[in-house]
Amino acid sequence: MNQKELEKIFKFLGRQWQIFAPQLEGDNLAISAVENFAEIDWSGEIPLETWKKFLIPSEERLFVFDSQKSIETLPEIQKNALWGVNVLDLKAITLIDQVFGKDPYYQKRRSNSLLIGYSGGLESDYKKYKVLSHNLEENVLEHLAFDIFIVKLKNGQVKLYSGSRRGQETLDKSGAKDYENIEFAGPVPEKGTDKRMLSLMDKMEKSYGTKIWKDLDKICIACGKCAINCPTCFCFDVVDKSDPKDCSRCRNATTCFYNDFSLVAGGHKELDKVKQKIYFWYAHKFIRIPFEYNLPGCVGCGRCTRVCPVGIKLNDVLAEVGKTKEKKVIVKPIKLKT
Amino acid sequence: MNNLYQTQEAKILSAKMVSDDTMIFRFYFVDRKLQNQFAFLPGQFMQIGLAGWGECPISICSSPKNSKEYLELAIRNVGVLTEHLHKLKAGDLVQLRGPFGNGFDVDKFKDKPLILIGGGCGFIPLRPLIIDYLAGRLENTILQLFYGCLNEKTLLFKDEHAVWNRHADFDIALEKPSASWKGAKGLVTNLIKENKKITPNSVAVLVGPPKMYKFVIEELKKKKIKDENIYLSLERKMYCGAGVCQHCAIGPYYVCKDGPVFSWDQIKDIPEVI
Repeated sequence: MNQKELEKIFKFLGRQWQIFAPQLEGDNLAISAVENFAEIDWSGEIPLETWKKFLIPSEERLFVFDSQKSIETLPEIQKNALWGVNVLDLKAITLIDQVFGKDPYYQKRRSNSLLIGYSGGLESDYKKYKVLSHNLEENVLEHLAFDIFIVKLKNGQVKLYSGSRRGQETLDKSGAKDYENIEFAGPVPEKGTDKRMLSLMDKMEKSYGTKIWKDLDKICIACGKCAINCPTCFCFDVVDKSDPKDCSRCRNATTCFYNDFSLVAGGHKELDKVKQKIYFWYAHKFIRIPFEYNLPGCVGCGRCTRVCPVGIKLNDVLAEVGKTKEKKVIVKPIKLKT
Repeated sequence: MNNLYQTQEAKILSAKMVSDDTMIFRFYFVDRKLQNQFAFLPGQFMQIGLAGWGECPISICSSPKNSKEYLELAIRNVGVLTEHLHKLKAGDLVQLRGPFGNGFDVDKFKDKPLILIGGGCGFIPLRPLIIDYLAGRLENTILQLFYGCLNEKTLLFKDEHAVWNRHADFDIALEKPSASWKGAKGLVTNLIKENKKITPNSVAVLVGPPKMYKFVIEELKKKKIKDENIYLSLERKMYCGAGVCQHCAIGPYYVCKDGPVFSWDQIKDIPEVI
């Protein structure tokens, strides 16, 4: 398939879906609405912004109230086609799908979002972002949630895949004939749990109290930018608006770095020191998510490192955590949930 | 799709102060069918809410045997929501969802002496266990109750103390009692330390502030009680109740879903867990 044929599909989709794609806005690679095919950025670079704004908005109304009755307010949203989602961000969405698998608000947004992945097709695309085993493995697509996937080949040709029934139907209707269907085989690869993830999980548990966290305590300013820009961060508060004209219960995004994250009535805070907060953040990625979902909680997109105002590099932190000595057992190893 | 955050309307049957800052509410679900199906375990908690003021997790303090008629929550006035709850009276409506958490697995307590240790309002979730023991529903040989509190004014469930005293060893220590207090003074830890009846095969259940846990566990260890027989109910900030919002995470666990009850054996290696 060539570019022209791909453009046809784009135009077909544009009739039913509002298409969002990475595009250059000045020097900044943004994810915004596109009308013209030519506006799409094909560099494969990872935008600072994440796609999570379409799936887990920073504020979502859950209910309105009638006296003490809670009336569910599922989001009324347009049909969005998310075009050009890179493999790492698809990994993040695949994970978030697990986390919010039973959440009706998320599911409504998710069912109204057509996921169109994209790769320049080269393994080296992801080398600079590599944290865990993030090469574009041969069967990577089998473990990603997507509807359509576009691979641009070196010769300028395009290869298309469908990853869901909806993707298949959409491609068929668009007139595309030459595509391969990939059956989703679940988020965890057949070769089993990522080995580096297991080792990191163990070391993370043993590392609390070691020098790295004491060092980070002095450097980190707990601004929460890493969490805001992380495609797998989804912490939230559930808060009410007490304005009688707009009495509603909302789910608002937060980060574990914020001061009120663990604040309870009476003034006690479990996470009071910076080292507690930053350890909590890493523990979510490298202990809790692996424990619960058998998946790494970090997709290795590198956004946290790019946005950190004090230059904390996730890879460097993990390298230090990796040096944690076996004999310094603070926490006994835990077994993965099966 | 089932909405985890969906609350149910519940009506207040009665509301009375049980100490100078804690009110005990008896509720029933407006939807009678729901009340009939309602079941919970001692140690589980509810999310109670008021439109416009949010929700907070509160341990159930009534016995599961009455769950088809009502449930009780003892609520201390410490924050904005609880302040509004304290203004309510019989007939008023609130929002409830739950029950959440694992609760106490009383099968594991079987045939062993049971020691319940509560500090402050931590005594609230122990009440269902006491009621069940008194009603003969727990298969324990003996029950020992240790209750540490600030002063007489903050002591909970005073009306019930006489009954508890008749059927169990019940000791209270007050940190700052009035001059007329005839009982023990000081911390609950001292009660444990001085008690000669505690045997190594006992099961101990602790609910109270983290500071209490550290010292009480030390005393229990001196009395050779096994880590797997020491149970703690933890308290954390929480919103969702299903291990998603992340506020209540400890080590690999979520207090709302995997807890609030943990054995000491399970969590003792988690940094700063208590």
